[in-house]
Amino acid sequence: MTRTILFLRRLSQAFFFVFLVYLILHTAFPLDLKIPVDLYLRLDPFIGIITLLTGKEMIGRMLPAFGVLLLVIIFGNFFCGWFCPMGATIDFFDRVLFREKKRSKAFNDQPLRRLRYGLFLFALAAGVTAWQLLYLIDPISLITRTLVISIYPPAVFIVNNVIPRIQDLLPRNSSFLSTLPLPLFKVNLFIFVIFIAILALGVMRKRFWCRYLCPLGTLFSITSRLRFFRRSVTDECTQCQKCVRDCPVGAIPQETPQHYRQQDCISCFKCLECPPKAVSFHLERPRWKTGEPVSLSRRYVVGSLAFGFFSALTIKTNPLQTESGLVNNRLIRPPGSLPEEEFVYTCTGCGQCLKVCPNNALQSTLLEAGLAGLYTPRLVPRVGYCEEMCNFCGQICPTQAIRDITMEEKRLIQIGVAHIDKTRCIAWDTDKICLVCNEQCSYQAIIGDDKKRPIVKEEKCTGCGICENKCPVDGEAAIIVHTSGVQKKLTPEPGSNGNGKNSAG
Amino acid sequence: MDHPKGKKISRRQFIKGAATAVALPHLLSLDSIVETPLVHAAEESDLVIAKSGSPAQLLQAAMAPMGGMARFVKKGQRVVIKANIAWARTPEQACTNNPDLMMALIKMCYDAGAKRVAVWDHTCDNYQFCFTRSGLKDAAQKAGADIFSGHGRNVYKQVDIPKGKKMKKAEIIKDVLETDVFINFPIPKQHFATELTLGMKNFIGIVWDMEQMHRIDLHQAIADVNTVRKPDLVVMDAIRILTTNGPKGPGKTEDIGEVITSTDIVAADAYAATFFKNPKTGKPFKPEEIKFVKHAYDMGLGEIDLSKVKTKKVTAT
Repeated sequence: MTRTILFLRRLSQAFFFVFLVYLILHTAFPLDLKIPVDLYLRLDPFIGIITLLTGKEMIGRMLPAFGVLLLVIIFGNFFCGWFCPMGATIDFFDRVLFREKKRSKAFNDQPLRRLRYGLFLFALAAGVTAWQLLYLIDPISLITRTLVISIYPPAVFIVNNVIPRIQDLLPRNSSFLSTLPLPLFKVNLFIFVIFIAILALGVMRKRFWCRYLCPLGTLFSITSRLRFFRRSVTDECTQCQKCVRDCPVGAIPQETPQHYRQQDCISCFKCLECPPKAVSFHLERPRWKTGEPVSLSRRYVVGSLAFGFFSALTIKTNPLQTESGLVNNRLIRPPGSLPEEEFVYTCTGCGQCLKVCPNNALQSTLLEAGLAGLYTPRLVPRVGYCEEMCNFCGQICPTQAIRDITMEEKRLIQIGVAHIDKTRCIAWDTDKICLVCNEQCSYQAIIGDDKKRPIVKEEKCTGCGICENKCPVDGEAAIIVHTSGVQKKLTPEPGSNGNGKNSAG
Repeated sequence: MDHPKGKKISRRQFIKGAATAVALPHLLSLDSIVETPLVHAAEESDLVIAKSGSPAQLLQAAMAPMGGMARFVKKGQRVVIKANIAWARTPEQACTNNPDLMMALIKMCYDAGAKRVAVWDHTCDNYQFCFTRSGLKDAAQKAGADIFSGHGRNVYKQVDIPKGKKMKKAEIIKDVLETDVFINFPIPKQHFATELTLGMKNFIGIVWDMEQMHRIDLHQAIADVNTVRKPDLVVMDAIRILTTNGPKGPGKTEDIGEVITSTDIVAADAYAATFFKNPKTGKPFKPEEIKFVKHAYDMGLGEIDLSKVKTKKVTAT
């Protein structure tokens, strides 16, 4: 029985990890999956609560997250042990690569346990002020981002290089198929290193990240203390310490294994593998009392909050931040984005929009939007342009930092304006006919003068960046999209709505 | 004619075309470029213009005087159709080929015994949006053809262009170079930079580094790329053409209702150029006014003077 439960848990972890990969792979054209591809983020109560607190309106798509929270409150924290793909990854690597080092002496982890709450309070204070740090370290957002930015591109690279070699073995010869477009992200190595570092912490303690750092885990700890589904130990306990050693989150104290920190328990049921079979789980009356509780002094709480508050203020007053009044004219946000300040605050940096963008146009920021805007999407036209007939990023954004806009709306949103560098433009600088920008422009915003040199009509330009992307000049383009930092609405022009109704005559 | 099988079919198909020609002689004589005596039609024409009818009928009518598809496609051969799927536009916007015509063309190739028909384009917009919005992916697949996008560099092969004047090297889609039969399937459009997009300009879509052609000298580069492989057949889709805001549109369209078939791409372009008005003169374009057509003629790629081309006008219904 115990074995079946443990096996089921592994199966569940594997399934939910594979399912996440499946959803991420389907976060792409044509985006016709029946299940929302941002499902995991929608199930994250943490993101749900923050969007509820920060957003002016309740975001309907985050409702499932509160269902999850309710279940956790009643049944305890099953999320981390059974569902969380980050937890599954950590469990896997704790087993195969980063095994916990054997220690001769027991070590007191009270300061580390406190750190978790300290970090949580710090991030909470920072979040209320200006800096949405909690999103950056949210495990679901973190693993999605890592998979999209750091794991997916190398995987595409491998596929592209393997298939041509084995195509004779494939049932259908694919030698005529173009390889998959290789996605490129500047921050890939940075995010990868952070991810590996988190996994490597397992060398110190199993599930180090989960027990000492993860803010979602902290939230569950706070909410699941009064759980109904509880562990109980009979008198047959021989103090063999097996459960203490096996518990992946260290929820069972050494001295009194009969009691446990129910708030830290992730319901993995490893402790059921008890030699005298003294351990069992039942529905019980909830109790606030817990074994070896973490004592947070008033000083610790106030200190963490104050530290978070001031850190956020220093970030807010940094010139990289838009609030400082300085505009980075190359920080082009995807169409339908909330105003910059709100955008930075609402975006979880999950990277789904980077994945869904058909042209690899959306890139993750590092410091372009300041520290508070870390991992937020921005359009880099030279890498890819914003496809005219696409509004995918708004469709899949779990927190609606990029609003789900209609195609008609999208075509009228000006995210930037193209400017021609006449000293480098082929048509302006030489007598050649180029006009790639004119032919590529979807909005007829680039016209040619009598000598067939391009001129931008600002009132029509949406800033999609196709001109900058396709400009045949080497290196930086001769036509560059700049943004004023505010997305404007263009006035529609009768007869150029692009829906094919104007085809008479 | 060294293939009796093909001749048999071609004659039968020719009779169909000739019958319509006899039935409606007044229509033929209205604005025909060359007075075509009926006896002449026994030989294959170099340029056929089919008018009035459904896309499939137009193609049928336009192919018959050419000697039918069997003249070009033999049993077991591989066929590549270079379509124009460059933009994510709907068929009504006339920036991409007519899906019904494409289906008819693919079916005709298979009926002639083609082993495999592949439709190719290196699109300008994202290929997935182009393929679906244009309805051409559905059309090709329904007709049993493969549709391939040239967005990956792996499907190209670097070739020298010995006859090229300015473009000496290019990466060309391998399948186009290696296939048995190559059919160019363009749609004429207004184009601001080159005045018009015609059959020869459709060749840009077999090149990897398309934008670089603008840098070299677009008109000459188009003519140069056309020396890489002469299309065995040109099927020009002039059912509906885009007359403003080309090549991407959306703009004004005009229902010409013609399908033009030719073995001479310069002649086909010279004819299609006359659909459009030259904004400077207000009169229809003369073929010489389109520089890449002129360059191609100068390089000996075909005939620009339509009076020297064996032309035939037919009506499909």
